[in-house]
Order: sequence, then C-alpha cells, then structure tokens
Amino acid sequence: MTTTRRWPLALLGVIAGFAVLLGLLVATVPSKDGVRDWTAPLVPGHWMAWTFPTATFFLVILLLLSLMAVWEYAAPGGNPRVGLLRFETTRGDRLFISLLGSAFIHLAWLGLIGPNLWWALALSIVYAVGVFRFV
Amino acid sequence: MEKRWNNRAWLMVLPMLVLVAFSAVIPLMTVVNYSVQDTFGNNVFFWAGTEWFEEILHSDRFWEAMGRNLIFSAIILAIEIPLGIFIALNMPRKGWGVPVCLVLMALPLLIPWNVVGTIWQVFGRIDIGLLGYTVDALGFDYNYVQDPFDAWVTIILMDVWHWTSLVVLLCYAGLVSIPDAYYQAAKIDGASRWAIFRFIQLPKMNRVLLIAVLLRFMDSFMIYTEPFVVTGGGPGNSTTFLSIDLVKIAVGQFDLGPAAAMSIIYFLIILLLSWVFYTVMTNYDAER
Repeated sequence: MTTTRRWPLALLGVIAGFAVLLGLLVATVPSKDGVRDWTAPLVPGHWMAWTFPTATFFLVILLLLSLMAVWEYAAPGGNPRVGLLRFETTRGDRLFISLLGSAFIHLAWLGLIGPNLWWALALSIVYAVGVFRFV
Repeated sequence: MEKRWNNRAWLMVLPMLVLVAFSAVIPLMTVVNYSVQDTFGNNVFFWAGTEWFEEILHSDRFWEAMGRNLIFSAIILAIEIPLGIFIALNMPRKGWGVPVCLVLMALPLLIPWNVVGTIWQVFGRIDIGLLGYTVDALGFDYNYVQDPFDAWVTIILMDVWHWTSLVVLLCYAGLVSIPDAYYQAAKIDGASRWAIFRFIQLPKMNRVLLIAVLLRFMDSFMIYTEPFVVTGGGPGNSTTFLSIDLVKIAVGQFDLGPAAAMSIIYFLIILLLSWVFYTVMTNYDAER
C-alpha cells in the first residue's frame, strides 16, 4: 500500500472548507430581537424548508465523505479486510455500516427511550469506532 | 506498460451525478427537512423536532402496516418459490415447447403493474368478473370488496400470477445450465428423481434461488400499485401496506411532516434490505 505525504494538506483543506461552510450557515440563521432562532427556516417561504440543524446534518455527512476521500488519498486501496462479519469490507463499507447502524440506533432510542438523542449519538460514535476497528 | 490515471474521466460521470442529484438527493434532502417540521401549506414551516418520528414509531397504524407487509412477503415467498421451482422443473428443455413456455411465462411480467391491478379488480368482481362470478356461483361467499380474507386471497393470487414467472425463468436458467453429464452420472448410480433434485438440481439453482428470494422479498415489501388498484388498502385497513399508508398520509391527509418521517424510516428499512441483498450476492460470488 502506497501512501502520499501531502495528505495533511488535503485534510487541512477539508477542515477549512467545513469551517467556512459552517460559518456561512451560522451567519444565515435568522435572529429575532438579537437572539438567534436556531430552528427557524433559513430561507422563509422556500419549498425545501432548510433549517440550521438539517443543513448541519448534511454538512457533517459531506464532511465525513470528504474525510474518507482524504483517507483514500493518504492510503489508497480502501484497506479491504475480513472482520467480525466474516466477509470483506473496505473502509467505505465500514462507513456505510456505521451510518446505517447509527440511524437505527437513533430510531430505537426515539422509540424505546425518548427524544433526548445525545446518548444515542454517543452510542452511535462508540458503535462506529467498533465497526471501524473490528468489522 | 505503465498504467496511467486520467482524472478527466471523472467528468464523464458528471451528467449522472447531476441527474441523481435532481432525482434523488434533492428530494431526499427535502424529505429530511420536512420530517422535522410542520406545515399548513404556502411553504410556511414550524419546527417540530423529532416529534413526527416519535409519533410514527409509537403508532399502531405504522406497525400494523409493517406487520401486514411482512406477512404478505412471507406468504408470497412460501407460494411463489416452491411453485416456481416446480414449474421450472416441468418445463421442456428441448423442442418447440421451449419458446412457447418461455413466452407464456414472460407475458405476465410484461404487463404494467397498474394494468395487472385493473385486470384483477375486474376479474374478482362478483357481478362481472370471471373469478368472482364463478366462485360465487359455486356457493362460496366471496367478495373481496367487503371481506378482508377474500381481499388478501385476491391480492396474493394476483401477486402469484404476476411474479411466479420471474422465479420460474430464473430457476429455468439455472436448470438448463446443468451439464448432461451430471444426469448421466446420476442415472448410472440409479439415483431417484428426488435424489437428482436434492443433490444436483437444487445446489445448481442455489444462486438463482437466492436472487429470486431476495428480489421477490424486496419487491413485495415495497408493493404499492397492484393492491392499491384492487382494494385501495381496504376493506378497512386490512390490505393497507406501508407504501399505501404512506401515500394516504402524504397525499390524502397532506400531513407532510409525519409522511416524511415515515418515508425516512421506510427508506432506512429498504436501504438495510438492499445492503443485505448486495452483500449476500457479492459475497456469494466471491466464495464461488
């Protein structure tokens, strides 16, 4: 497996890009009496009904995909291996399993426990680390 | 010769990316946005958080539709797979019968889903439908419009009529690929008909059967048009599957928030099934 030494530059670019986009997003959050309304529509009257939380959600997905691209740039080949599931997975597969599993963890938490999803998020992160480590 | 990477090739996939963005990504993003908000029209939205997801996950209506979907899939798999194998085993392998059988088998697959629904809607009617009239004349109390059991029988028969051909064609393709030498060896060993099926034909059909089971499961789990045209989800909610319920909430009630939340849950289930399908298929290929 060959690696490239320029990957920190690419990583820095992705993080900087994410920070800029997040900053722009924060700047578009509407204010009322000087207080930001984090859940109000970003563009009132627009049919796509963007809000800060949903836009951030997709921005994080974009960040994850970009980070995976940087990882692939740094260490090409996808690092295929046979893990716990006993079939070959690349790191892209492992990201997909992590995201899909996290979605179900959040749904299960909502259905069985309640609307406070911070613990579900923590559990999803632990699950994702487990997937990347053992699957 | 040294292999060269040409990154300009990425431009070739750009049109497809644009198409996917317009047809899938943007609608999906919109559904995610709607799933956490409430609206009364005119593009005015109010934040609802995870309320719609909780409502759907705690709704009996959703789980009942899911249960009906799973029962429907289990029944049609239990009928279509053995029936498909049986028909494929009895289809001719040589002569004029081959094209005739293949065309007959392919016919139901060529009919559009809404037309299949309309055919069976008329076919099952007790006043003008051949099936309904005959069954009624034989003394059975059959009326798919009023009786949930009759409605289920009708849509299961319809699905079996429409889709068993697919299983037949897949199994037939698996069967004709078995070399004659296998049958000759079995004949020399004095193998019974059952032994030939169990130890030669079934193992050779494994792959196509796997495709058939997974395709039919996923298709039946997403079924909408045919039962909707025949029963409209009724009588009552007895044939309301997830997709029908989703359309009722989104279009009938115009509850975009709950419909979007339900769409996402449904989408995640389908995504999980698709992943299982893809993984099983690709790993089965790799093992072989």
